[in-house]
Amino acid sequence: LKFSYQWIREFVGDLDCAPGALEHLITMKTAECEGIEVTGRLLDRACAARVESAEPIAGTHLWKTVVDGGRYGRRTVVCGAPNCRTGLITAYVPIGKKVIHGVESDGMLASAAELEINRDHSAILELDLQVGAPIPGCAPDSIIEIDNKSITHRPDLWGHHGMSREVAAILERPLRDPVKLDLLPPGAGSVRVQIEDFGLCPRYSALVLDNVAIKPSPLWLQYRLTAIGLNPINNIVDMTNYIMAELAQPMHAFDADLLQGDTIFVRPAKHGERLRALNGEEYTLDPSNLVIADGGGAIALAGVIGGLGSAISDNTRRVVLESANFLASTVRKTSVAVKLRTDASMRFEKAQDPANTVRGLARAIELLQELSPGARVIGGVADMRREAPPPVPIQLPLDWLQRKLGRGVDAAEVRGLLERLQFDVTPGTPGVFSVAVPSWRATKEIAIKDDLVEEVGRMLGYDSIRPTAPFVPASAPPQNPRRTFENQVRALFADFGFTEVYNYSFLSEEAVRVFGFDPDEHVRITNPIASDQVLLRRSLVPGIWKNINENLKHREHFGIFEIGLEIHKQGAGLPDEIPHLAAAIYSRNGDGEAGLFETKRAAECLMPGAQVCPAAARIFEHPVRAADLLWKGERVGRLFELQPSLLESGRAAMLDVDLSTVRKLAGVERKYVPIRRYPSSAFDLSVIGRLREHAGKLQDLIAQNAGPLLESIEFLRQYSGPPLEPHQKSLSFRVTVSSPERTLSSEEVGEIRSRIIAGMREQGYTLRI
Amino acid sequence: MLEDSIQELVSSSLARIASAASGEELEAVRVAVLGRKDGALTQFMKQLGKLPPEEKRQAGIALNTAKQKLEEALEARQKHLAGADLQARLEAEWLDLTLPAPGPRRGHLHPITQIQRELEELFLSLGFAVLDGPEVETEYHNFDALNIPPEHPARDMQDTFWLDGGNLLRTHTSPVQVRGMEKLGPPLRMIAPGRVFRNESIDASHEHTFYQLEGMMVDREVSVAHLLYFMKTLLAAIFKREVTVRLRPGYFPFVEPGFELDIRCLICNGSGCPVCKQSGWVELLPCGLVNPNVLRMSGIDPEEWNGFAFGLGLTRLVMMRYGIDDIRLLQGGDLRFLEQF
Repeated sequence: LKFSYQWIREFVGDLDCAPGALEHLITMKTAECEGIEVTGRLLDRACAARVESAEPIAGTHLWKTVVDGGRYGRRTVVCGAPNCRTGLITAYVPIGKKVIHGVESDGMLASAAELEINRDHSAILELDLQVGAPIPGCAPDSIIEIDNKSITHRPDLWGHHGMSREVAAILERPLRDPVKLDLLPPGAGSVRVQIEDFGLCPRYSALVLDNVAIKPSPLWLQYRLTAIGLNPINNIVDMTNYIMAELAQPMHAFDADLLQGDTIFVRPAKHGERLRALNGEEYTLDPSNLVIADGGGAIALAGVIGGLGSAISDNTRRVVLESANFLASTVRKTSVAVKLRTDASMRFEKAQDPANTVRGLARAIELLQELSPGARVIGGVADMRREAPPPVPIQLPLDWLQRKLGRGVDAAEVRGLLERLQFDVTPGTPGVFSVAVPSWRATKEIAIKDDLVEEVGRMLGYDSIRPTAPFVPASAPPQNPRRTFENQVRALFADFGFTEVYNYSFLSEEAVRVFGFDPDEHVRITNPIASDQVLLRRSLVPGIWKNINENLKHREHFGIFEIGLEIHKQGAGLPDEIPHLAAAIYSRNGDGEAGLFETKRAAECLMPGAQVCPAAARIFEHPVRAADLLWKGERVGRLFELQPSLLESGRAAMLDVDLSTVRKLAGVERKYVPIRRYPSSAFDLSVIGRLREHAGKLQDLIAQNAGPLLESIEFLRQYSGPPLEPHQKSLSFRVTVSSPERTLSSEEVGEIRSRIIAGMREQGYTLRI
Repeated sequence: MLEDSIQELVSSSLARIASAASGEELEAVRVAVLGRKDGALTQFMKQLGKLPPEEKRQAGIALNTAKQKLEEALEARQKHLAGADLQARLEAEWLDLTLPAPGPRRGHLHPITQIQRELEELFLSLGFAVLDGPEVETEYHNFDALNIPPEHPARDMQDTFWLDGGNLLRTHTSPVQVRGMEKLGPPLRMIAPGRVFRNESIDASHEHTFYQLEGMMVDREVSVAHLLYFMKTLLAAIFKREVTVRLRPGYFPFVEPGFELDIRCLICNGSGCPVCKQSGWVELLPCGLVNPNVLRMSGIDPEEWNGFAFGLGLTRLVMMRYGIDDIRLLQGGDLRFLEQF
């Protein structure tokens, strides 16, 4: 929101603080300023000048003029404006001395846009001033831009007068009120107002004006509006905008002759009721939208935008001037529903002060005297409102205030600064102030004593509070075993050569389909702004796949991993969020075997003793290189090679592990087992099996047959080739046996060995002995 | 006479020992001189018996001396040769240690992980629990319980991803405050680092996915002065130097009063530079005293308990720490970026 320094200066007596210093004060005490821009830089040098002569420059659309520039004397100026003519009084600015088409041009004749008065570039100004006079009310100004977010809670700061109140309080200067309520005419209004629900519209005030002449606003007013980013339109519309920018009270003007009947209704829209708005759009409404209506239907969307059918035009003579107050949430809901944010809706949704409606009307009556001389007010103010009880004063205990701030406060100082902000302070019980909140702060914002802590704190200055360590018992914080575990896993995988990536939680439908997942099993985003953020991931694998394809352009071999949440849709309530580890090793060269075993090794370090159980491949897995990972009897994940056709080149081994299950299983407490005192004995066995025999399965069989004295089985090697048949291979294992009670005799060891051999033979295996 | 012969043998043997070039040669010398059967010295021993007692005694002494001398020489030469042998063997084992070690290089932890862990450890040491909350949140926890009811204009500050079923992707880590209060009850000290989402288009400085670290303390006496103390302690640890901070008003519905905390620019020390846009201050984190409505909604009596809360932009901190100028790199998965950390 933009604020004019000059405008603030009209309200703050003896404002001697420069714009930069003021911006700093506002930032430190009130709201965040985003910067200052100077506007109307040329205005202090501009003055009215008469075109003494104007002759066309051959072959161009330009004029060579001689102007009487008052204090600047007689100057020759080249001008291209279509309205340039002898006798015209326009604005001269002594800048831009240069030769144009052989004519030495000294200065310029300015359009309103060039002087930043409005946005009209089409012609030079036509003034009704004495030669040499400055343009009244138009001088260079500093525009302070305030971050809208920082005044979300301050309805009063959406106008210059409210901001001036802050400045006056900060600088301890008098505040001038531009509103003269005694200008309001007595008597009944000449329009009837009917409010269906005072909850939605706490107050509606209106005036009827006659004999209005629609014309451009005076330049000073156009300049003010332009400086703060509003577009001048005509005197009546500009007046409503001016009052909005001054008092934060949005207003609307209807052409009274275009209204049907003599009553203005404030009511919910009917189902399917239509309104063509001032912006040319047609809106189809429903009862959640509050409208202003006449006998014929909706004429405005309450607090958001007026209707085109009753808009002010050059022919308007009679005006109904609306100054109303609407419930913040209803304006916001409608504004969001019709996707239209206006200067009015932005203010109303912050909860404006109902007391302000008639202030706006009083200000209008004063302004009209200049903007449309001869305009008359017909009748009194139509003013419908629900009488609300005055807010209950807040009890502010000063010792509590000190404890909240963490510094001592002086009662007189607190009272003084609250009063400067126009709170009404009465000392109640000793040490407690009874604080009445002014109406413009009471709509929503200030309701509890904590709100006053902020008022006192910011006005005293937070820099007056010394950082202080609290007195609290020392205690060990509760542990977060999940984070600890995940950090351990991260460290482990990084040590094994995997680099950590962070991927988005989003997937596109296409990506999901590539992996054969059903899009409908995913949590869906209802308002995505891009097609790749439609679904929430229920697997980290697609993200890793994308990482691989992007990095394989730059790297021949790499490992990556991610720890993140899989989001699983549930029937009702929140989805399940399951922490997963996905890791991959990519190699441009080779057949993929090395990467798979490297990945397996990392998995085994994470889960010592985990079993790899070959399983049917899913669509994105290599058809014969996929396995379930089991640990302590539970399925914890998957080890596989990515289907090579999903890669531009090379092979990728992948691991996908459910970390919540792994953590649960990892948490088993360890107990010491005495070191075996008697020596172990070992013997080697070679089993002949089919080429696709799984070593893991043979090892299990050996273990089953070995009996209780088995200590360990170690895979030694495998071999295929002569003298074995082509469909055979031999796998060698070293079996170690021992007893905790004695040294085994060679007979006992031999017995175990024979038992294993017999058992294996029963299963149909041949052993090379 | 005999003694002369002995002397002769000794000197010739010593010469042969000295010139023996290998263990085998040395052994041959030993056998030739000291061999039990045919050694030259052994032969002299055998002649001893034939000598008269007086000569016998003297010759005996001479023989023993000679034997000792030769044994010492043999041993010394033996040691020398063994050493040279080893030396030669090792010499052949020249190795180029500048070759790269085989096996995988160590991987890299994501920069957000690194900074987040640093902060978690710091807060643990200050007695703060590290809490987690879900990324998919209820509207209640993300907004209502934080004093942002429906139709509150503050909802505009955070463009929200809405999900089927009426839930949403959390727009800040603040809902973990609510969950933390529900779970731990007062008094409590907690932080909640995590991933948050905003429904906006991305460019070099905007992301729809980023990381925050939420912090909260609830105790009987908690003041603005205490908040300032913790913020200064935190920032000094993060930036590894003393920092000057200032508070100014900031509006966040879940705190009252609410602040924006600025630090004096670490680049120019406050004299003004492009990083601080010539202001001398850098806006760093929003914070404030917990709004009593928020305490009450989480079942904590605000007449008895007070609290402060703050939110640190973890992603932003990481970018500041490493001078990263494009936020998209953090979730781009590009190893050329990630391997720098």
